Amino acid sequence: MPLLLLNILFAAVFTLLLGSGSIGTFVSGFALGYLILWLSSPLYPEIGYFKKLPKTINLAAYFFWELVISTLQVAWDVITPRHISRPGIIGVPLAARTDLEIFLVANLLSLTPGTLSVDLSEDKKILYVHVMFLEDIDKTREGIKNGLERRILEVMRS
Amino acid sequence: MTGGTVFLYGASQVSMAILLAGMFLLLWRLSKGPTAADRVVAMDLLSVLVVTFLVILSIHTRETSYLDVAIAYACIAFLGTIALARFIQKGSRNKQPRPDLCQKSDTPSENLPDKRSSHD
Amino acid sequence: MIEYFTGVLMVLGSLFCLVAALGVIRLPDTLTRMHAVTKAGSLGAGLVVLAHAFFHQQTGIFLRAGFIIALLLFTAPVAAHLIARASYRSGIPLSGRTWVDELKKQH
Repeated sequence: MPLLLLNILFAAVFTLLLGSGSIGTFVSGFALGYLILWLSSPLYPEIGYFKKLPKTINLAAYFFWELVISTLQVAWDVITPRHISRPGIIGVPLAARTDLEIFLVANLLSLTPGTLSVDLSEDKKILYVHVMFLEDIDKTREGIKNGLERRILEVMRS
Repeated sequence: MTGGTVFLYGASQVSMAILLAGMFLLLWRLSKGPTAADRVVAMDLLSVLVVTFLVILSIHTRETSYLDVAIAYACIAFLGTIALARFIQKGSRNKQPRPDLCQKSDTPSENLPDKRSSHD
Repeated sequence: MIEYFTGVLMVLGSLFCLVAALGVIRLPDTLTRMHAVTKAGSLGAGLVVLAHAFFHQQTGIFLRAGFIIALLLFTAPVAAHLIARASYRSGIPLSGRTWVDELKKQH
């Protein structure tokens, strides 16, 4: 985490020194700072930061792609006169343990294809998910665990 | 006036008309909604549409301060939705064990005679 | 050039919003309606705000637009989760097409 703060500080100083104050300058300053920190990474004890950022970008890209796909799916069911949805509520056993991890899984799940988190069991181990196009219970459950939850846990725990 | 400006002017008018149509549909659901939860859902989407409308208005009139109004409206609408959701849950707490919800799926419904056969 | 891009993005976003509103009208029960609201609604609003940010291209506008998108993407699932849980516990009827309900055993 201190490396992230250092990187943001570098980008802010870079932006102020160039004096243009646009977002593009800030982003390029951040990228330059990241490169410099990466080159000097043998100097620091923590290396998690350099594994974390590519995984975060991977998660964000996956998430936006899924958001677009899910919207098209729902839109298709809304526009066409015949309903094709086969809704159902399934329980997904969670590998996420801390409150922050569960929060992220539940919220990102609500925004991805045809799934909506409805309830959490008392012991915080099972998340109940409402699925709009449910064909195969086990396959859907595996898809949630391997697709979204695995990526979130990779980001949180690396 | 260049072609791009004219195009943008027309496009913002078209999208405002689309959003207004959506808002009227939502008002219908808001007045008709069978349960309180349906009304809260309609209210929630209505506030998202109002935020979107404000942003388009900001492009249409080139007045960027509408964006601040949109931010404030989004915050307040979120708080309102949370309060209404708490209200629904509180209202149900006094009731006895919830009725069997899925009983309708055991009996054949009018548009889906057989649960299994519709997909094949 | 940027005007055409902005206009197309804006109309696309408002069409997504219209689809969300149509979904609230047409889908059979509260939980499926909530699917339309969280996904189509937030994507449509996000596209329109993005169009606004590209149109003005100033740092302040970029930051405010980013804030609105973050606000919408964070609040929509939280609100949807709260409404879904509250409505499920208050015993709303599910549509006849629902064929699995594993949550029912919990209560």
